[in-house]
Amino acid sequence: MTTSTFVAGRGFLYIFDARAKLFTVLLLCVMVFLPIRQTGLWTLVAASFLSAWYATDFKQALQPIKTILFVLVIMILFTPLTYRDGEVLVRLGQFPLATKEALVNLNILVARFLGITYICTLYMWTTPMADINLALRWYGLSYHAALVLTLAFRFVPYIADSFRMIQDSHALRNATVSDGERTGRHRLADLMPTVTAALVVALKSIPHLAMSLEHRGLGRETKRTSYRRLVAKGGLFTHLLLSVMIPTVFWLVFNTL
Amino acid sequence: MKTAVDIADLSFTYRRYGGQAQPDPVLRAVTLSLPEGSKTLVLGAPDSGKSTLSKILCSLVPRHFDGDLGGAIRIDGTDISTCTPWELMTRVTLVAQNPQEQLLMTTCADEVAFPLESLGIERTALVDTVHNALQRWGLYSMAQVNPQEISGGERKRLLLAVTEAIDAPIWIMDEPFDDLDEQWRQLLLSRILGKKGTVVVFASRYLDEFRGNFDTYCHLFGGNIVRKSEEEIVVEFDRECELQFAPMQEEPAELPNHELHCTNLSIVHPRRSVSSDQPFSLSVPEFNIASGEVVALVGPNGAGKSTLSRVLCGLDPLVEGSITIDGSAIAGKGLQTRVGYLFQNPDYGIFLPTVRDELGWSLRQIRRLGTEEREQMVRSCARLFHLDLDDNPTMMGYGARKQLQAAVYYLLDRPFVIIDELDSGVTYAAAFEIVSLLRKNGAAIVIITHDRSFARNIAQRQYTITNGVVSPSEVGV
Repeated sequence: MTTSTFVAGRGFLYIFDARAKLFTVLLLCVMVFLPIRQTGLWTLVAASFLSAWYATDFKQALQPIKTILFVLVIMILFTPLTYRDGEVLVRLGQFPLATKEALVNLNILVARFLGITYICTLYMWTTPMADINLALRWYGLSYHAALVLTLAFRFVPYIADSFRMIQDSHALRNATVSDGERTGRHRLADLMPTVTAALVVALKSIPHLAMSLEHRGLGRETKRTSYRRLVAKGGLFTHLLLSVMIPTVFWLVFNTL
Repeated sequence: MKTAVDIADLSFTYRRYGGQAQPDPVLRAVTLSLPEGSKTLVLGAPDSGKSTLSKILCSLVPRHFDGDLGGAIRIDGTDISTCTPWELMTRVTLVAQNPQEQLLMTTCADEVAFPLESLGIERTALVDTVHNALQRWGLYSMAQVNPQEISGGERKRLLLAVTEAIDAPIWIMDEPFDDLDEQWRQLLLSRILGKKGTVVVFASRYLDEFRGNFDTYCHLFGGNIVRKSEEEIVVEFDRECELQFAPMQEEPAELPNHELHCTNLSIVHPRRSVSSDQPFSLSVPEFNIASGEVVALVGPNGAGKSTLSRVLCGLDPLVEGSITIDGSAIAGKGLQTRVGYLFQNPDYGIFLPTVRDELGWSLRQIRRLGTEEREQMVRSCARLFHLDLDDNPTMMGYGARKQLQAAVYYLLDRPFVIIDELDSGVTYAAAFEIVSLLRKNGAAIVIITHDRSFARNIAQRQYTITNGVVSPSEVGV
């Protein structure tokens, strides 16, 4: 009932310790919101994208953009309308459609959004969920809290997987010879049955998930042991040092670019 | 001898979402006492309450599925109404009919390890147990693979590996032989027979493997359980389920003349969770099927039966090769309009509040019919498939949902239909009826199955997948 966000691949990120990597993710996410140069921000986005490409492949690396594309389009369309001050670049009658300040802010907003998306996605792609759980526990989170958090990351993609299966099932059920004539409105209407069936599958799986967790011993007072162990090749200290150095180097580069 | 499981006057009625009790109880007055170390087979038709009883025995129902429970169950002398599932886990382990219900973790190794971690087993022993269990069930090489990326049979084996790893004295197994191929069925049987503890196997079909291998035979029927000799139970069960292979309906008088032909297909798909230089691949030198034919597609777990089916109905792309229908090359959407695929899980296609809506909806999508004509078709189809038009599909039993799924494709009238594991969850008689009805329309049918007797009795030809290659083989072998 759960699925993994982990994507097998290559590179340093796969051997970078999950605890240190989590710390880097946090520092980079904080850094994205600090007042830094736009070129620096886009460098971070580009570096994250290239890391994703190198770790997996180009098609997979594009996946996060596809996922947030709708939100990006909404941001691009509506953010400029919320800024009226500054040098007006495009005007409709008396109404300023885009100002220089609006475009600068939009640029920063999009870069931040993409940056955070790629940084977090990279962490999920390159770290097995069980290791994320162990990393969270290492930082002091209780087992139950870590489990709930990681289960959410597994259960939601599972529903997404079910959604794709349901979509396939409906595609076969509804395929007609005149499919080429189907308009966007028809395609939108086709979503309704798929979403309903996905909802039914999701709702039905909730009691099963709870049932299985309890049947597998969640709730026992015995101290849990762990099959997995986090092993940092070269020592945890080195990895933690790297986890601070990577954002620091970025920070320095950002502010000189 | 000590009593391991003692069920006294057990009754259970599910509640609806609104809270009121459903009109018919699933279990009425089940009474059964099983001694320690006994091996029991409980035969019951689909939807007779086997899964419910198996979950009640593990204290999971009504805890997670609302209902009214009466009577008492004692496991090793302890009344389980006072126990939580996690307290019972050291005494009873359940293997659910649908493995998807029980899988929690994102790698096979973690799945086996999770309950052992809950038990606080020391790490060295834990690692050994996990590896041994995976090894025994042929999953060691898949230790880091995501359970969502393995086949249905492999998932069932994973659950069996978990069950062996926990090593509780009582195993409750709901249709454990379903989805397993010959080799793993034999292993499961030997593990059941070799177990010192108590095993209760629930099944909706009497398989060759069961003959003479259990010491207690029961029949769950009408909410009650009866215990008799093996012969008597089999005859009684046979009578209830019309288990004998029904003769296929006569050939349709006028067969349409369609042929689907595949040449030199090559199918490849990688697994996301593990890096591998050799992704899963399947080669199909030659595959063909013509109107009115029933062809079985068999092969071991994870061989690629569902993968091939997805390609044949245009859901997944080909790497190379060609698919033709009536001599014309066809792909993607074109295939989707000609080849139907009844997924193993019927819930993927069900979304409307009544059977009438479900049947009418697809008909409305594909054919321009008058309301009256459509209603007439829907009514006659429901009659053929024994469906009540006012039933709510999501609340119907698994077997009835499978019937509904088939009824939808009956109305869609696709010239080619692939049916994935039809024999799991429905009786042989019902499965035969479904195939007969689809064939009556002239459809060519591909049946995916692990049951050789079923394949032998239903198919005229067979293809087997061995080592990634699909080739013709003798039916039922």
